[in-house]
Amino acid sequence: MGKKPSLGRQKIVIARIPKKNHLQVTFSKRRSGRFKKASELCTLSGVDVGIIVFSLASKVFSFGHPEVELIIDRFLARHNLPPLDTSAHHQLFEAHRSVNLRELNMILTQVLDELEVERKHGERLDVMRKASQRQCWWEAPVDELGLCELEQLRTSMEEMKMNVEKLTSKLMATLLLQMVCHFQGLILD
Amino acid sequence: MTRKKVTLAYIANDAARKATFKKRRKGLMKKVSELSTLCGIEACAIVYSPYQAEPEVWPSTLGARRAIARFKNMSEMDQSKRMVNQQGFIRQRIVKAEEQLKRQLRENREKEICQVMYRALVGEPLQGLTLVDLNDLGWMLEKTGKEIEERIKKLKNMVPGSEQAAPAEPKVDKGSEEENGEAAPKNNAALNDVVAVEAMQNQPWYMEFLKPRNESNTMNLSKNEPRPSYPYGNPPPPWSNFFFP
Repeated sequence: MGKKPSLGRQKIVIARIPKKNHLQVTFSKRRSGRFKKASELCTLSGVDVGIIVFSLASKVFSFGHPEVELIIDRFLARHNLPPLDTSAHHQLFEAHRSVNLRELNMILTQVLDELEVERKHGERLDVMRKASQRQCWWEAPVDELGLCELEQLRTSMEEMKMNVEKLTSKLMATLLLQMVCHFQGLILD
Repeated sequence: MTRKKVTLAYIANDAARKATFKKRRKGLMKKVSELSTLCGIEACAIVYSPYQAEPEVWPSTLGARRAIARFKNMSEMDQSKRMVNQQGFIRQRIVKAEEQLKRQLRENREKEICQVMYRALVGEPLQGLTLVDLNDLGWMLEKTGKEIEERIKKLKNMVPGSEQAAPAEPKVDKGSEEENGEAAPKNNAALNDVVAVEAMQNQPWYMEFLKPRNESNTMNLSKNEPRPSYPYGNPPPPWSNFFFP
């Protein structure tokens, strides 16, 4: 299934978006983007951050590190001092949390890297397909073929189906035979 | 500004970390402001810094207090429903990325099998393919076969009564088509006659396997022998879609 290429980066006027659907989509994407940026800020710089966002439907989304509520309390209290709990228990808890976060980030990075590899692979496959489409008419999308060509193609594909069936049966039979021999061997032992 | 790939880890170098922090904090504030304006919604951002006592706040201390008050006025459930911390958020990102990866792998596999199918059409041997490959190949043949069938029906409906209707805008000009016609589907020598498909027999695919093997292994294209052509969609195809669950 081909994906429609997105419009990419476009200049946006910073003013209220008129269309409702567009607005909802924009809100969703950008809110999610802000949380992502906040999360990166926390990871890279190790700082405490809190973000609160209200949707048009008055739902609330919040992100906070270490916790939204801790940030709020700290802000309201105006002490602006990080919680001074230096007990061993607290320190252990903090240590645990950072290790946990570090691991999570590593896993995320790994998956993102794999995704990138597969995306590039997909692009290469697309390029190859386009190139061969120029030389082989039957590789063109079905919608672009004419009636004669389609009927030709259909016949050939049915041939191939038969061959595939034959080969599959053969392979399965071989496999079954191997299994039977294996079990017979076991029993005789 | 070059786009360098950034590792998602705490920056050890103090100077680099401070620079990144300043830049990103600024960017975050700006983007939160944009979000608020574009969507006409209320928001606030609070960023603490190890370099100064006061946090950086958007839109303002007063604005933030207002947002927080509104937040606290909501029910506990409403507050926590979409509340997330680092751990939760990163987990969410992992799940999303894994889903995208799965989808991409599947897409790539389909493309690869398609390639195998097209190569086989021009005579590349099927030997060397595993059972899994064959299964997927069968699925792809099935799927493409259906598309072709539909398209043929559509074209025939458009020009009623004439099966020999001129093809609609074939991309390749007639000259090269003839040339390629020979190179194409090598394993179908009857192609020159453009034979209409024989009456389909409702034989399950494995019946061929159970029949006494009296036919030769080579391709038998004689029109006299009824070919157990595979009926589309009925009975259900033997190639279960197990690779594409």
